[in-house]
Amino acid sequence: MSTHETTVTDGRSHSVSDPILEIRNAEVVFEMDRGVSRVLDNVSLDIQRGEILGIVGESGSGKSMLASSTLDAVVEPGVLSGSVTYYPEEGDPVDVLELSDSELRQLRWEEIAMVFQGAMSSFNPTMKIRDHFEETLEAHNYSLSEGMSRAHELLSDLYLDSERVLDSYPHELSGGMQQRTLIALSVILEPNVLVMDEPTAALDLLMQRSIISLLEELKEKYDLTMMFITHDLPLVAELADRLAVMYAFELIEQGTTEEMLQNAGHPYTRALLNSTPNLDAPLEEMRPIPGSAPDPVAVPDGCSYHPRCPLATDQCVATDPPSEPVTESHLIDCHHWEESIESIPLNHQKEATTRTTDEERNPMDHQNQMEGER
Amino acid sequence: MNWWVKRTGQALFTIWAVVTITFVLIRGLPGDPGDRIREQAQRHNPDMSQAALERLIEARIPASYDDPVHVAYWEYLTSVMRGDLGYSTFRRAEVAPEIASVLPWTVLIMSLSTALMFAIGLGLGALMAYKEGSRFDTAMTGASIFFNSIPYYVAAVLLIAFLGYRLSVFPARGTHSDATDPGLSAHFIFDALYHATLPTLSFVITGFGIIALTMRGNSIQTLGEEYIRVAKLRGIPDRRIALRYVGRNAILPMWTTLLISIGFMFGGAIILEEIFQYRGMGWLMFRSIEHNDIYLMMGTFLIVTIAVVIALWIADATYGWLDPRIKSGDDSESY
Amino acid sequence: MTVNRTDEPSDDEPGSGDAGSRFDGSALFDRDTDGTDREYRADGGQSAGGGQMFSDSEFTDVTMGQRLSEVFYQSIYEPFVVAWEDWRTKVGLSIISLYLLLGAVAWVSTSEFLILDRITIIEPARGDGPIRLAPFQDWSYPLGTDMIGRDLLAAMIHATPRMLQMILAGAVFATVVATVVGTLAGYKGGITERALMTIADVLMTIPGLPLVIVLIVLIDPSSPYLIGIIIVVNAWAGLARTIHSQVLTIREHSYVEASRTMGIGTPTIIRKDLLPNLMPYILINFTSMARRVIYDSVALYFLGVISVNTIENWGVMMNIGYENNALIIPEVSHLLFVPMVFVVGLSFGLILFSQGTDRLFNPRVRARGSGSTKSKDDEEITTGGGAL
Repeated sequence: MSTHETTVTDGRSHSVSDPILEIRNAEVVFEMDRGVSRVLDNVSLDIQRGEILGIVGESGSGKSMLASSTLDAVVEPGVLSGSVTYYPEEGDPVDVLELSDSELRQLRWEEIAMVFQGAMSSFNPTMKIRDHFEETLEAHNYSLSEGMSRAHELLSDLYLDSERVLDSYPHELSGGMQQRTLIALSVILEPNVLVMDEPTAALDLLMQRSIISLLEELKEKYDLTMMFITHDLPLVAELADRLAVMYAFELIEQGTTEEMLQNAGHPYTRALLNSTPNLDAPLEEMRPIPGSAPDPVAVPDGCSYHPRCPLATDQCVATDPPSEPVTESHLIDCHHWEESIESIPLNHQKEATTRTTDEERNPMDHQNQMEGER
Repeated sequence: MNWWVKRTGQALFTIWAVVTITFVLIRGLPGDPGDRIREQAQRHNPDMSQAALERLIEARIPASYDDPVHVAYWEYLTSVMRGDLGYSTFRRAEVAPEIASVLPWTVLIMSLSTALMFAIGLGLGALMAYKEGSRFDTAMTGASIFFNSIPYYVAAVLLIAFLGYRLSVFPARGTHSDATDPGLSAHFIFDALYHATLPTLSFVITGFGIIALTMRGNSIQTLGEEYIRVAKLRGIPDRRIALRYVGRNAILPMWTTLLISIGFMFGGAIILEEIFQYRGMGWLMFRSIEHNDIYLMMGTFLIVTIAVVIALWIADATYGWLDPRIKSGDDSESY
Repeated sequence: MTVNRTDEPSDDEPGSGDAGSRFDGSALFDRDTDGTDREYRADGGQSAGGGQMFSDSEFTDVTMGQRLSEVFYQSIYEPFVVAWEDWRTKVGLSIISLYLLLGAVAWVSTSEFLILDRITIIEPARGDGPIRLAPFQDWSYPLGTDMIGRDLLAAMIHATPRMLQMILAGAVFATVVATVVGTLAGYKGGITERALMTIADVLMTIPGLPLVIVLIVLIDPSSPYLIGIIIVVNAWAGLARTIHSQVLTIREHSYVEASRTMGIGTPTIIRKDLLPNLMPYILINFTSMARRVIYDSVALYFLGVISVNTIENWGVMMNIGYENNALIIPEVSHLLFVPMVFVVGLSFGLILFSQGTDRLFNPRVRARGSGSTKSKDDEEITTGGGAL
């Protein structure tokens, strides 16, 4: 468990060497009848230029809020505070939350674009796909002819019949086609960062797979930085360079994919890994996490995971654990991470030591086994 | 294309069905028609002379009454198709041309009212949705409900009383002033519109509310759609979002309301025209009832119905063109 | 008798986001269902409803009483609690109740039934007062009198029972026919469906009022019930169509599928699964049918299409006012305006009521109004899973 790359930390204490996006103390608050609801709680995160960052969390853990925050696009009446800084390749850093409306309009889609879950609902049902592309280009004063030829290319890259797709209405496309079209639409202005919120949630397994591999191709070809948000840990583990786990509107652990799979320190991350269905693991070893995610209005004091945590102590009830850098890239928000690693065994590691066949089964397993053998 | 054939077939079928219903109504009522008419006439007007009664019975019972049903039906069907709707004893003329001469007036107030009602309702509804929860929204919601709960003929009576008689701002009666000659002169058109003001207002005042409320609901729903949010993030200008995204998608479901209101307003026109003594279809229908002129009455009924069928057919055809989802999909829900 | 129930409170975890306002119904209405501790959410939340629907299609031995109370609970009580939160429902229902009260007063006053014979709260209007008295002048005739000295208030009140009979007949007829036709067509499918829906389509296209006028002239009815029914003679078609498409939607739902595979017959499915779900919708259409009967009957009386001599009616009084030039002569204008106020009042009550209950069908409007935050992160709760 020692093969993490060393990162160069500058004065601003980044967990990555060359951040393209830097989120500091981001907080989203809703005023509700029942009280104040904090749906994003003091999240700090860096995204490395050119990487694929996976954000994993249960439903209602605040991961969609985090996605919206990167574009300062939190839905009303939510209020976002903290800071989001965008570092263009050239030029000065941009403070996203301080931008004027027109500057924000420029940042969105030209620099940072977003793919939403549920592609069908992201298109205007009474407008042809072509109009969606054209109006986007026009709204940003891009050349229409150049843009449209790029649209054709993008759609073809995504294995779509571009001419047919452009002349269709959204409802005439299948779910997978819609999702790919939406991805093409989000990179039409050649953004540097692509934030994806559960882009594969509504699709079947085969389609999920193919979209994942298409995304990898797209990333290489267009030099994209991706933030991939999902509840599906195995899916993103295949794709991502780094992983971050959210629980109860907070970021509780982040690190390289290797570190997170092999040396996860937070009891929640470990439980998450163990709850993952795995063909190799006997069913009785698959454990759902007992309890349920907290209500945004009444997040427990101290460590928000303590009501469900087997290792919780008085300290966890009393104080919220700070982010502890285990390595330069691996941050854990847990008082007892060392104990956690020792006392909560990971199913896939047990397996990896007992079994060495079936390497083709799953890339993640494959990777795990490689790690185990090393 | 298939959808078109189907829809047109349905319209023709409806017209046939209505012609048949008319025939059944004229002919198929139980009991001896002569007795029924006599009894009814005496109840309404006990002083009617015997001779007048006989004339009335003669007028109301078609000559073909003694024919077997299928012969009479075929005769009726073919004559209607030729445009022969019978002879009006009261107007002392063929029914069809009589109706043709008054139909344009009904169509005029109908289309004026529909256009105004929807223009005001849609605009107001969209505005209320954009300002959801504001004092304006609450006030307009209340006003819409209140005005909507006034029957259109009550509004008509009030308008006549205040704007017509007390203030004498608008004419309370008729389609045009006697002094003006019908024709395509600007003067005549203005005069006709001037006379149509109060009937139109009666519809608009009492009808815009429900449209505004429906539009408000639809717009609020559309504003909450994901694609609006995505469009905003894509930097689409607000104006385009309001028209092309919110407007269009919120208005489309209103097509049903339009369809229903066409039929409703044709029906309502009959009552309004009587109140305003507006010489349209409704006025003619009431005269026919007054004079027990059954052919004229059934003729107006038939024509009004056919007019509605055609209006609905046009509206439906347009809907397929407005909403891409209808054409390619099945024809299931155009209503 | 044991009852298998699966409808345990389906989401009682303390932290489940929308714990909102809950209503513990078991104490009030659910005594006879063997004490199952159910919770009903006053906001009609989907998840609780989902659980219950399932229990309904379950093949269980339930007594008639239990089933009735369950149907009552699901289709009337729960929606009612939701609707009641809206001010429009409260005001609307109060107005409607006021009219029912007026009707009851008039009925008791004229009834010859046993003891009621002796009770007369308000005398039927007789021509024994001053002539053409304006409203609010003499408090023995609060709303004034007509040309022959009849008390307008008494005349108004005594017209109410007939009006209510007419409304009831029309609304019941239309909703029952529409529900039967709509559910039958939607569930049977095939030729039945096509035939019924074609009939509905044709009737729907025929403009209602002209047809009603023609029928009334030809039939010349005098019973208020018959008049009510004639007025909605084709109005049910639109409702039947809507119910039909609702049934089609519900038919897709898995729980109906489930009951079907369990071998439960169509009538049972319609009765136990479809109707309870459609009930709120039908209730609302009931009010719009009622409004239609009011509008059209008053109009027809007003214009003298229905014989004026037979029945007292608000429209008849408007007719009397109109014939006596109430439009032009301010002194008698109350003859026209007093009945108008009664008509508009009842219509206003019905509209408010249906606007208030509208939120039952428009959950989106409801969610936006109550400032709920849980719109985005609402995917099903799965932790990991899937991609293997």
